[in-house]
Parts: sequence; structure tokens; C-alpha cells
Amino acid sequence: MRLGKVIGRVTLGKTAPEFDGARWLVVTPYNRGYFPDSPYPDDGRLSSDPSVVVYDNLGAGVGDTVGFIEGREAASPFSERMAIDAISGVLVDKINYHPLP
Amino acid sequence: MQLARVEGNITSTVKHPSFNGWRLLICQPVDSEGTASGSPVVAIDPYGAGLHESVIVSTDGKAARRAINDNKSPVRHMVVGIVDRKEAPAKPLRKTA
Repeated sequence: MRLGKVIGRVTLGKTAPEFDGARWLVVTPYNRGYFPDSPYPDDGRLSSDPSVVVYDNLGAGVGDTVGFIEGREAASPFSERMAIDAISGVLVDKINYHPLP
Repeated sequence: MQLARVEGNITSTVKHPSFNGWRLLICQPVDSEGTASGSPVVAIDPYGAGLHESVIVSTDGKAARRAINDNKSPVRHMVVGIVDRKEAPAKPLRKTA
């Protein structure tokens, strides 16, 4: 599971049938230089990693920090076939981050 | 499995129910010399690893789902061991690159 900040939402027009009513977040992932109170502030507004579109049913809004899971495990909460590979697992309340240089 | 260093933790109330009660540690993958490589991941931790300790993180969801005891959980990374001591290889590894 990686952390990331929600920077937007995506509304899909034509989708696979199982995606009806799905909620999609655009998340910029936290890499080492982008943690909110990290002593190594990333200079740009977005993290250098590419943004990820994440399936969400926890109700994260723009500006929240979420933990999202990528890969096959993202589809395990669903009983029917679900073609997703990123899902939000937690809404982060507090980050305690103390990196060693 | 990756060698990683614990560099923090996160707290969360709104989450997938399978994560309830589990410690969520921020683990920074490191190479053998201890320099950070790659972006940090959040792993569930059954062993109580402390801050800046070296741990082994497994990326296999099946094992994590069994540990978390919920087959529908999206959990993936899990601390599977705390490193006591790292031993250098007997003879230096040949530089491939």
C-alpha cells in the first residue's frame, strides 16, 4: 500500500458494466521527497511519480491523504470479476514520518 | 520480499474493516548498505517493529490476507520479520552492471 494525496476526481462516460456508479480519485503518490512534513520537501506541487487513478469507496475528497493498494490485491474485495488494479484501502488521519537521511 | 527500514507509521479511522486493529508502518525499501531506494510503502505489522529498525516486507497479498484473516481484504504489504543482523557475503559479489 502506498500513500498519496487526492488531487482530483474522474468521472467516466462509457465504462465496463461492473464500473457503474464507481468513484475514481486522481492521486499523486508520496515518494520519499513528497511527504507533508518531510524534511526533504519536494519542490514541485505534485510528486515526481506519475499520478494514479484509484477506485474509491471510502469517500476520500480532494486534498485528503489516502493509502491505496495496487496490483491484483486491489480486486480482492469484490466477489464478481473487477478489472481494477488500484483501490483506496485507508483514509489517513495522521502521518508520523521520521526518515533517516 | 524487500529489505526495508521502518520510518514512521500512520493512523486511520476510516478504512477497509479488515485493517481494524492493525499497526500500519511506513517502510522505506533500502539496499544492503542502508541507502533508501524507491518510494515508501505502508505495511501491516504483527511483530511491533520499532522506528528505524530493519524489517523484511512481503508483497504477497495471499499471505497478508491469511494473516489478517479476511479473504476479501485488499491488504498487500506485510512485515514478515525484524532483522537482527545483516551479514556481508563471504566473498564480494561480482559487479554485474
